[in-house]
Amino acid sequence: MDAAALLATLEASAPAVAIRNSLVLFPLIESFHVLGLTLVFGTIAILDLRLLGLASTRRSFTAVASDVLPWTWAAFALTVATGVLMFVTNATTYYPNPYFQAKVLLLALSGVNMTVFELTARRTVREWDRDPSAPPAGRIVAVVSLVVWISVIVLGRWVGFTSARATAPTDPGVDFDAIEELLPK
Amino acid sequence: MPLVNRFAQWLSQTPPSRMLQTYEWMVPTIQSVHIVAIGVVLAAVLMLVLRIFGVAWRDHSVADTHARFGPWLTGGLVVLLLTGLAMIVGEPPRELLALSFWLKMLLVAVGAGLVAAFRRSLRRHGARWDTAAAHDGRTRVLAVLTLLVWCAAVVLGRLIAYDYVWGSWSAGLKG
Repeated sequence: MDAAALLATLEASAPAVAIRNSLVLFPLIESFHVLGLTLVFGTIAILDLRLLGLASTRRSFTAVASDVLPWTWAAFALTVATGVLMFVTNATTYYPNPYFQAKVLLLALSGVNMTVFELTARRTVREWDRDPSAPPAGRIVAVVSLVVWISVIVLGRWVGFTSARATAPTDPGVDFDAIEELLPK
Repeated sequence: MPLVNRFAQWLSQTPPSRMLQTYEWMVPTIQSVHIVAIGVVLAAVLMLVLRIFGVAWRDHSVADTHARFGPWLTGGLVVLLLTGLAMIVGEPPRELLALSFWLKMLLVAVGAGLVAAFRRSLRRHGARWDTAAAHDGRTRVLAVLTLLVWCAAVVLGRLIAYDYVWGSWSAGLKG
């Protein structure tokens, strides 16, 4: 199955159809997507600033990480689940969008960045755990993380501004053309 | 026409509003900064609530945890206020004629009040927060409520873009 057929299949799936046919589902899913991603960024930033020696320096890195990361992962799960639902609803619209493609690439880069951290600074954490800042590899990972996540947020916003929904919900009681003019995303 | 609608129409003709409408990248940029600041604020509130519950930051007192996150919470809220005002100026009818916007403002006021009350209590009896208060059921309820109020404000903020979800309830503002 080629990409176009796969996208069409996703868009025709039961959840995608249900979301498109509902007035409230897509807005609600997008709202919880924002809630999840803000918590991902906010909690990750706590850890990045600790690596850089800019905040929480009176606590060990591992103490901060164990307090923060479970919430980061929980928020990430919410963000991915809602993101997948938004994607399948309008798969053919999002897939070719360059901002969406850049966002997916940066998400992959954040995974690579995390792996680099595990293979470098994380291995010697016993030596620097209580130091105010991490060794250079850890500090570079922290800067990359902050830049990548802020970029993901900006790109996500641009996806919203550059892709009209594949199928607008239809409700005879609502003048959607008038709303579209009044309410840009 | 309701007063708020007339005000929105007037505001959208002012020079700052016209400037924000002229450059298409401005509103999404301001929104992006707004979202980043939400992340800072929500994470700070979450960590303070977790500390009150004794789940995180346990090697710090509640006051010390507040010393760590309080300035970020304040700074984040200032950025949210400024970018929020810019978004109102940039798209007056979209914000001011949305029921979600006014519900959000109500929750922001409640959330800010709860944070202010927490800070006043912390200044007056900081040590008690590490013993009795942290195990007091009412305090914990208020702490969770504070987090939920801010989360709900985030959800309502995004729903401003989809005010039709309220159906006829939001019609009164437009009239």
